[in-house]
Amino acid sequence: MKTLVVYPNKELLYAASTLGGEITALVFSQKEAEALAGKAHRILVAEIDPKSPDAVAEAVIKAFPGHDLVMLPSTKNARTVGGLIAQRLGAEFLTDVLSLRAEGGVIKAERYVFGNKAVATVEAQLPAVVSIALGRFQGEPPTVQSIVERVEEVAIAPKVKILSVEEKPRGAVKLEEAEIIVSVGRGFKKKEDLQMAFELAKVLGGQVGCSRPIAADLKWLPEEHWVGLSGKKVKPKLYLAIGISGQPQHIAGILDSRIIAAINNDPSAPIFQNADYGVVEDLYKIVPILINKISKLKAK
Amino acid sequence: MKVAVLVKTALDTGQLRVRDTVVIEETPFKISDIDRNAIEEAVKLKGQDKAYGVTVVKWGPLQKKIQEAENVLREALAMGLDEVYLVVDEKLLNASHTATAKAIAAVIKKVGADIVLAGEATVDNFTGQIPARVAAELGWPVVTYVRELKIEGGRVVAKRDLEDHVEVVEAPLPVVVSVTREINQPRIPTLLAIRAAMKKPINKLTLADLGIDITPKISASYRPLVIQRKKIIIKDGTPEEKAEKLIQYLRQEGVI
Ligand SMILES: Cc1cc2nc3c(=O)[nH]c(=O)nc-3n(C[C@H](O)[C@H](O)[C@H](O)COP(=O)(O)OP(=O)(O)OC[C@H]3O[C@@H](n4cnc5c(N)ncnc54)[C@H](O)[C@@H]3O)c2cc1C
Repeated sequence: MKTLVVYPNKELLYAASTLGGEITALVFSQKEAEALAGKAHRILVAEIDPKSPDAVAEAVIKAFPGHDLVMLPSTKNARTVGGLIAQRLGAEFLTDVLSLRAEGGVIKAERYVFGNKAVATVEAQLPAVVSIALGRFQGEPPTVQSIVERVEEVAIAPKVKILSVEEKPRGAVKLEEAEIIVSVGRGFKKKEDLQMAFELAKVLGGQVGCSRPIAADLKWLPEEHWVGLSGKKVKPKLYLAIGISGQPQHIAGILDSRIIAAINNDPSAPIFQNADYGVVEDLYKIVPILINKISKLKAK
Repeated sequence: MKVAVLVKTALDTGQLRVRDTVVIEETPFKISDIDRNAIEEAVKLKGQDKAYGVTVVKWGPLQKKIQEAENVLREALAMGLDEVYLVVDEKLLNASHTATAKAIAAVIKKVGADIVLAGEATVDNFTGQIPARVAAELGWPVVTYVRELKIEGGRVVAKRDLEDHVEVVEAPLPVVVSVTREINQPRIPTLLAIRAAMKKPINKLTLADLGIDITPKISASYRPLVIQRKKIIIKDGTPEEKAEKLIQYLRQEGVI
């Protein structure tokens, strides 16, 4: 098995190492190559703009001969690169895989499908392309001898030209790492009312998350708070969903939470089917009480 | 501007039929949600020209699913597409993504387009790879995750919405563009539009019509995801009592 890891990070390198065989990491600067020393058998440097999926795809195609598998992270640009190269290689592209096995020329992977209501076990012939679901492959890649080489003359005048790049505003929110998340949904009537959730999160020592409409439609919170299929995938020890109905696309982001608790005034809200503890109550009545009681508890 | 829209007749995951396994044959189709945004954008862009939809039926049984796909596509026509191409062939059931993209690209080559629009991903599989694959197959540039789109002098200028940043990019036509749900508010067709859609053409094509052959299939099995949660519901008592109970439980679990 020879795996080409693009946009390499620890998780990808570990995932690749579980397949055995040789690992090549494709990077886009000398500096990146130095940082990776000892973590891949070969380190290939292609000096191109990693933000350009076109250019990265060209570099991957150039570097691919001799490999069986391309491994990518589950980012939007990596997904674009994956689609481009998979078609050119005539290969399958298994996205967001949860597990991975190679057996006699075939790669086997599991992934969530159908709005995260089912798990698919998919088999594809090598060569293939895979992208790894975030946070699923945790371990240390073994230390190896590295050789560094350059990918010469990647013929690229990218067809898509980047005119400007604007960083999204980043707060202190790191939902992926939060141990406790108090998450808000459309059960909140006004933006100002979210203050309650922030207070509750504060007394619990947690962060505030939200459902899609709060960030995307109402824009009451920046997108970094957005949890779900198209938002953040989180794995706190406590996820407290307040005024969230629990649509599958939201649940998709919280499957790995240890305990899910929910507050909703509708006893038939689907969130209760996906929660360990559900409270049927008006959030406006119970959240202030919770803030009060928990802050007293913590003060002890 | 001649526009092609990739309209996936996707499995309606809200109505997933589950027994011991997922019963795909019995799960109905619907338009993949984000494709509605692509249709909306196409209808806005097309001007005097035409916008057509392309779908590949990927699930069987074929006869039943063709009927369902037609019904679903009527909705896309009611939103303002002028015609649709429904690619159906036994060989496309459970086809690999490579094969699906080949079939889609073959329709686009046949009918022509200045721009191909698609949703960022489909609601059943959510792999988001088809737009890039179709672009690769056509040899066109691809611009993914677009939340704002303009056409200016033979080029698209688009705002791409990525994880940590927003990019403005430009690319020459013809081009493949995938859009996010934020790009627009898809229209709800009027009764009049729904009636008019009954008269618009649904063209059925086989691989032979497209002059291509496809073999690779993908092997996949599906099992329902059973979520093991305790489902303890606190519904009796005053808000005060309920809060107390919840706190008790959460303390027992050691999470607060
Ligand atoms: C392709 C696609 C991707 C999507 N991705 C995501 C995603 O990543 N994340 C996401 O969250 N959604 C996503 N969605 C949207 C999702 O389907 C739902 O529309 C959304 O999650 C609903 O948000 P909500 O629960 O806040 O609102 P609603 O569904 O409106 O629910 C509000 C809830 O609040 C309760 N409520 C109202 N008043 C009170 C009160 N006073 N006290 C207590 N409870 C109250 C109501 O009973 C209701 O259950 C996606 C949809 C699609 C089609």
